Amino acid sequence: MTRELNWPVIRLLMIKDWQLFQKQLAAHLLGGIVALAFLGMAKPWAFYIGSLLLIILLVAVACFAVSTSLLVERKEQTLAFVMSLPVSPLDFTVAKLAGNLLTFLVPFLVMALFTAIIIFSTPLPDGLVVLAALVFGHVLVAYCISLAVAMQVESEGWNLFAMIGSMVLINPFLMLIGQMDSVQSVLRGNAVIWPAPALAILGAQALIGLACLAFALWSNGRKPAFY
Amino acid sequence: MTAAFVLQGVSKHYPQFSLSDFSLTLPEGQIMGLVGVNGAGKSTLLRLLTGLAAPSSGDIEVLGHRLPEAQVAAKRKIGFAAEDMRLYRGQTLAWHIELVRRIYPEWDSAYAASLLRRFDLRADQSVGGFSHGQRVKALLLLCLARRPQLLLLDEPTTGLDPVARAEVLESLAEVLRDEHRSVLFSSHNTHDVEQLSDSISFMHQGRLLASADKERFLDEWRRVLCVGDVPDALDAWPELVQRRAAGSQIELKFRRWQDDLPERLAQVGLSVQRIDPMTLEDIFVTTVRAGGRQ
Amino acid sequence: MYQQIVDQITARVMAGDWAPGQSLPSIRELAATSGVSVITVKRAYEDLERAGVISTRHGKGSVVSERPDHARGLLDHHLDLQLTEAAATAARLGLDRERLHQRLDAVLDTNPDAPLRAASASAVDAGHPPATTPHSRKGTDR
Repeated sequence: MTRELNWPVIRLLMIKDWQLFQKQLAAHLLGGIVALAFLGMAKPWAFYIGSLLLIILLVAVACFAVSTSLLVERKEQTLAFVMSLPVSPLDFTVAKLAGNLLTFLVPFLVMALFTAIIIFSTPLPDGLVVLAALVFGHVLVAYCISLAVAMQVESEGWNLFAMIGSMVLINPFLMLIGQMDSVQSVLRGNAVIWPAPALAILGAQALIGLACLAFALWSNGRKPAFY
Repeated sequence: MTAAFVLQGVSKHYPQFSLSDFSLTLPEGQIMGLVGVNGAGKSTLLRLLTGLAAPSSGDIEVLGHRLPEAQVAAKRKIGFAAEDMRLYRGQTLAWHIELVRRIYPEWDSAYAASLLRRFDLRADQSVGGFSHGQRVKALLLLCLARRPQLLLLDEPTTGLDPVARAEVLESLAEVLRDEHRSVLFSSHNTHDVEQLSDSISFMHQGRLLASADKERFLDEWRRVLCVGDVPDALDAWPELVQRRAAGSQIELKFRRWQDDLPERLAQVGLSVQRIDPMTLEDIFVTTVRAGGRQ
Repeated sequence: MYQQIVDQITARVMAGDWAPGQSLPSIRELAATSGVSVITVKRAYEDLERAGVISTRHGKGSVVSERPDHARGLLDHHLDLQLTEAAATAARLGLDRERLHQRLDAVLDTNPDAPLRAASASAVDAGHPPATTPHSRKGTDR
């Protein structure tokens, strides 16, 4: 379809999604501060609790972002209202993707930034930044997969499966990193070195994430009508 | 004559349901009532008319725009409210009004304010606490205040108490003032649509059974009570739609009534006792039972 | 609905609410205020015009006819139709002329203002479909 996008309405729909997510967003950021405070104490037990809390929060932000803007909208039949507005399926898809990325990426990037600041400004080894990047990267991939599935599949069961499944994979992923000696040695040092396997993983994460978003955009945007 | 919409040979197939070979035109400035039982395909038809659904075959033109290709341009001029449409529970009506106002440049704030008062709605109340009637009125307000060229309303009066129903119908009647604005509204009963509608369409199981001026419907149908022996040839009369024994009397329902019919009945040996016009509801039920036999 | 509009206008013209030559509301205006479809009002106007109660000047809308006795004539005609209907019913009941007269007198005795009340009630009672008789409808057929 070569039709021009209806940007003013897309922008309003993005703002709408942002407003709907606002209250949850504040709660997530508050939790983020607590988690980072634990991390900042630089004690082994506090580091353990803090990192666990941070991962839980990241997963929660990802799940809530997808669920508020896509699953709840479908379930509570507000979708029909949005579709009655002057938007094409492509406009709607762009607005959904962009609005969702906005609501997710804002808290995600804020937390990533503060995590990095805490790692660098406290006695924690600076090399931990590599681990943090990999963990954040995994959550980002899991989020992109959940988002793409939510835009594609109406079934709530499959959506939950995609969300939980992709997020839970963080466990084996961390174990895998634990097996990588080249990465492990960096984590304990104070110099920030990016070992080749870590860079490869980050690259793969970026590719998978982008592929998911591109697929969601292509598959939903090419439809001539909603039904 | 310009048309608010033209459907030509439109079909839409779903796994469980099909709308088939649907041709219907609504002239500009008219109100059409669409009557059909639940599951007749009214919602599917309205989805096709808003461009939300693409037809499997056939042509759809709404306000001069081909659908679903030009759905954005068409939807700018369409006000669509469906029974299964919900607003955002956590947000206030004012928030919804603001969203819609910013999308439609034609939004009439003064009209919106007067509708708020008439519908007795509170803008600062969150939509989650609305009753069914309030929700319907809120949706209608969001549609009406943007002064759309074509209003498409799916079951706007279903489940409303008599007061709310009157309020909704009154606000629709106001649309009549403007000869360029058209309305299609559906219902599963004839009472809700017959007062306001210029034309009535009956649909059943995905097909259009009949569509005509309301007055023509009433003029063309008659219920005749007579006594005598029914000749076999009677069933072949094209005007006869239904024949039923009612005690010693015979009840006949005719479509395309002609003034010479009583005479013809007398000729075949039936003595006519009464001739009555039929209510729209009776006409609808008879049409559905006859399966739309022309 | 149709009969209500006709009755309403006839009643107003006869009562002098609407003077001869006075403009009637436009079809759409009357439809919007009375919540009745445009086609119904249009048809009522056409029939009132045929009966001579109102006249339509091209481009100027409808006005009350200069000969308001037409309104009376219309009502007269309506009464005739109803009496014809009553006579037909009486025939089915096997009543003779005498008995029918007695029945009419009985109605007038027990309820002297009944016809008047029925007429004004039908003009305001917008919730119910009009009780059209087959003949009154046929009388308006084209």
